[in-house]
Parts: sequence; structure tokens; C-alpha cells
Amino acid sequence: MQRRTFLKGAALVGTTMAVTPSIVLADTKTNPFGITKKPRKFSVTNSFELETNDQVARLWVPLPLDSSYQKVLNISYTGDFKEAFISNDNAYDTKLLYAQWDKNSKSRKLEIKFDIIMQERTADLSKATNNTNFPADVKAFLKGTAHTPVNEKLTAFANEITKDSKTQLEKAQAIYDWTVNNMYRDESVIGCGVGDASKIIEQKLFGGKCTDVSSVFVALLRNAGVPARELFGIRLGQSKISNSCGKADANGFAKISGGQHCRTEFYVDGAGWIPADPADVTKVRTQEKLTNDDKKIKDLRKYFFGNWEMNWAAFNYARDFVLNPKPAQYPLNMLGYPYAEMDEDVLNYYSPKEFGYSYTSQERA
Amino acid sequence: MKFFLILFIFAVSLFSKEVVIEVKQMHCPLCTSMVKKAIKNVEGVTKVKVKLQDKKAVINFDESKTNIATILEAIKTTSYVGEVVKP
Repeated sequence: MQRRTFLKGAALVGTTMAVTPSIVLADTKTNPFGITKKPRKFSVTNSFELETNDQVARLWVPLPLDSSYQKVLNISYTGDFKEAFISNDNAYDTKLLYAQWDKNSKSRKLEIKFDIIMQERTADLSKATNNTNFPADVKAFLKGTAHTPVNEKLTAFANEITKDSKTQLEKAQAIYDWTVNNMYRDESVIGCGVGDASKIIEQKLFGGKCTDVSSVFVALLRNAGVPARELFGIRLGQSKISNSCGKADANGFAKISGGQHCRTEFYVDGAGWIPADPADVTKVRTQEKLTNDDKKIKDLRKYFFGNWEMNWAAFNYARDFVLNPKPAQYPLNMLGYPYAEMDEDVLNYYSPKEFGYSYTSQERA
Repeated sequence: MKFFLILFIFAVSLFSKEVVIEVKQMHCPLCTSMVKKAIKNVEGVTKVKVKLQDKKAVINFDESKTNIATILEAIKTTSYVGEVVKP
């Protein structure tokens, strides 16, 4: 098979090549973790070598989105695929790279490289209003999905949690507090968890990992009338908060194949989309053997309601959706991990070795 | 030779059965792989197709070697429960 090489950097990033993202930070408050507004730049390599056999192999790889807090530069990809292209033609406008190999192809390799510049994300909560006349693109995130439904039962539960809240922001705070107080990290859960909010709440089994915690938070918010969404992505480098939130060696190099992490955003008029990460509160609390009474957890739960430390790249908001090109199995629960099929069989995306992928990141000065 | 081939096909079809089983709890593509693997491991199963979109498994098996109850038991080992919709 003829080797094909594509360099699509210029075409993909277009004319948005500012050296740093154009971010307006309304809130310049300091934090106890020493996180600064200085942008961080990472060079990322995603390498794939899939099994060869008599089946057609198809691969979908989530790519980082461009936003006010992160800019993707110089995407390129090379490999021995029959066909490959980058597209965001799907229900959630999710950017992904699709590659396909014929049956009996001698090897199945793909390497994706890109740089990404990210800046600390901080929302100005003082600008929040109580207007609930949301724009259409925001209103879309009030609707339920298969794993984060909006229904009578969950709405009653969310209303109970927010019964003393007078504003949208107070509702969000009450649900955040409930989530952090009641959910716990269950290390036995595979990967980031399935994120079946309905099952978790109805069965009152509040253990899980980041997708589980994020999905419960998002589902409760939607049921309380606050637009919210999960954001799937990957940790790229050293965290100033905790090694639990991202680590790298002394030179800023990190093996990140297992670094997928799910965060959340909720929308309050005036303040816009507000970042939150209740899952990492539960993770640090468990892995550093802390309790809600420890100062670090008190600081952290305050910080993660309105802020993100940007050593993490955001991919997409997609839940319960159909990929394009259409796979044999659908709908897909979420796309934080690469997804691949050999004919109709799904590769185990929770196991980089079994699947055949390796992700690395190098932080640049 | 042709006679034996026809006899063989007749013998296979005599014991070959197709069943459709619904596995309601499958919620992600990886579930289909787990369910498929468990069913394929049952001796006598000749073909399995599992689809997430309709939460159904279509299974062909040799009735002289296994039965629906054994297949349902195999599905149970994945922590899912199957329900026969087309015996």
C-alpha cells in the first residue's frame, strides 16, 4: 500500500495563529496553588499501531477543540491508512480524525502531532444574573441524553437539593456541593467510568470516576434548569495542585495514554459558561487521603467552582451520539478515548496496549 | 461426493438454530464486545452478531452441542441479562 503523508496544519488552524489565546480574565484573584495566567504550551504526539487481520479497521480519534482558553496549532498526521481526514461533521460539532485500513493490510500505523497553547480559565461569578432566557445553543444543553436524562424523578431530586437556592448560580453551587459531598472516587471503576447519571442517582451508588461524577453534576444541573455539559479531554502535563491532576518528569515530558479526564461547564447568564471540576476534588481527596475538613480540599472545592487549571486539553461535549462516518456500533456514549472497530468488533479503548495506541506530551517553555 | 456434501449440509441444518436475544443493559460499544466474546466462548455457537443500536444479539448455534439456556448463562457472566425475543 502506498504510504501517504498529509500535512494539514496551515489549512486547519486557519488565520487564528495568535501566539497566545485571546482570553479576557475578568477575575484576577490569586489562588493558593500558585497557578498563574502565563500560557502553557504543549507538543502532543498520538501514535497508533493497530492489529493486522482480515477485517477492515476504522479509527476515530478525538482532537482538541479551539476555544477562548486553548488554541491548537500545526496539526499534522502521517500513516499507511487507505483513507484519513479531519472532520467535525456530527451532532456535537466534535473535531475528530478518521482513518481507515483495508482488510489484510500489512501494517496499520497513524501518528498525529499538534501543539496546543492553553491559559488558566477563570470565570467572573460576580457578573451572574438570574435571566433564564438562554440562547438556543445554550438551551440545547438543558436537554437530557440517554446517560444524563431529564425526567420527573431526577428533576424532583434536583429540586430537593436546590430548594433553598434563589438564583441560578446558587442552584449550581448547591448541586456542586451536593456532588462533592456525596460522590466519592471508586478506583475500581475502569477508565473514566461510563457516566450513567440516571443509574448512579436512582441506585444511590455514588462512587465512580471523573465521567461518573461529572455526569451526575451535569444531569442534576439540567434537571434544575441550569444548562450544563460534560467536557471530555486529556491531561497533558504537570499540575500545580496535585500529581493526581496531572504529572510530568522534570523536563516536562509526560506519557499520557491514560490521562483522559472529564470536566464540566455550566451556564449562567452574565457570566457565560463557567468551568467546574467536582471530579478532581473527589480524586485529590481520595488519592491524598484527605477529608472535606482539610484546608487543601476546602481550597480546591472553592477553586474548581469557576476555575480550571489548564494542564488539560478539552476535546468535545459529545454524549450519546453517532460518529461520522457511521460506525457499526452506535450511539457512542462519549469520545474521550480513541474509538476503533475491526468490522463490527470494538477495540478496548480503556487499554492502550490492547488497542495499540500511545500518547505523549512535551511541555514547551 | 456430491451426495455426501448434500448430506453434510442437511445434517448441519438439522441441528443449526438461530436465536435473537435482547440485552437491554448494553449502554456502550464496549458492552457489545464483552457480550459477543462471552457468547462465542460457548461450545456449539457458530456465529454471533451483537448490535448496540437495537441492543440485540443474533446467535447461530448447533442444537446438538448447546442450547439457549447455556447461552443466556454465558451472557450473565458479563453481568448483563439476556431475554429471548425470537426463539
